[in-house]
Amino acid sequence: MSWAAHDLEPYAFQRHLGGKVAIVPLLIGSYSPDLFSKWFVYGIEVFGVELQADDPTQFHRGWPGVGFTHSLAFGLVVAALLLLLTRSRIWAFSFLLGHWAHALTDVGDTIGTMLLFPFSTETIGVGAWAYAGHVGRLTDAGAYFSGLGFVWDGVWILYGLVSWRILTRAYFRETIVPADPFWGWAGKRLPETALLALYRASFFYGTTRWVAWVIWAHVVNDFPIDLSWGGPDWVDAAYD
Amino acid sequence: MRELASYLAAGVAYVALGVAFPSLLLSWVEGVAFLLVAVWLLPALVRRLR
Repeated sequence: MSWAAHDLEPYAFQRHLGGKVAIVPLLIGSYSPDLFSKWFVYGIEVFGVELQADDPTQFHRGWPGVGFTHSLAFGLVVAALLLLLTRSRIWAFSFLLGHWAHALTDVGDTIGTMLLFPFSTETIGVGAWAYAGHVGRLTDAGAYFSGLGFVWDGVWILYGLVSWRILTRAYFRETIVPADPFWGWAGKRLPETALLALYRASFFYGTTRWVAWVIWAHVVNDFPIDLSWGGPDWVDAAYD
Repeated sequence: MRELASYLAAGVAYVALGVAFPSLLLSWVEGVAFLLVAVWLLPALVRRLR
């Protein structure tokens, strides 16, 4: 899993594809594989009752489980449904792009994703950073921000900062708004300052939380940095 | 420039709060709400009170 890449990758697509994509469905697509399942992976307490998957890793990425949400076919099916419902090619295409980016990014960890589901339930992963969702959210954060995962996220932050023009008001007016009727609709209800904040929000969220987690992991706490392949070695990583 | 400064200030505040209270960093909704308050609602309120 990734902690900031899913917030940031859509802006990289935005830079290269301009008016051929719409940022809202790009972001929804990018978040969609984990949208309804992450809380059950880490567990939550509701009225004193702890709700968590018995096997969080299997639930999140496997079958049986909801690992199919990380398959290329799932993105295709939802994009086709979006096309049917909205008749908007740009929404369907943008959603698909965002979804596939998420599914392919998560190939980077030690579990990987069932990219080829339903044709195969085998997870495909390159094992660059440890998957540690099952050890609890904070330890998972400490591990992620001590291994290659946070380096991967850092690349997207740098790429976004180099592409700063896409975050400007002028770019928003000239490229983002004309590409998607959503902004015209929202513009009747909110001032441009709020719309701009919404447009930039995921970039802000991904970047600031990356900085905060790095400080939390290595200044406030003392999680050892281990940039070896599949690291950090000190965490009880899950493997395919 | 003023706009950039408001985002930078919001970023510094969010990072500081997030380091102190990591649970704040776990919610996209809270992160977006924080940004909206910091760069839109709060400045609008201050302008109105002046």
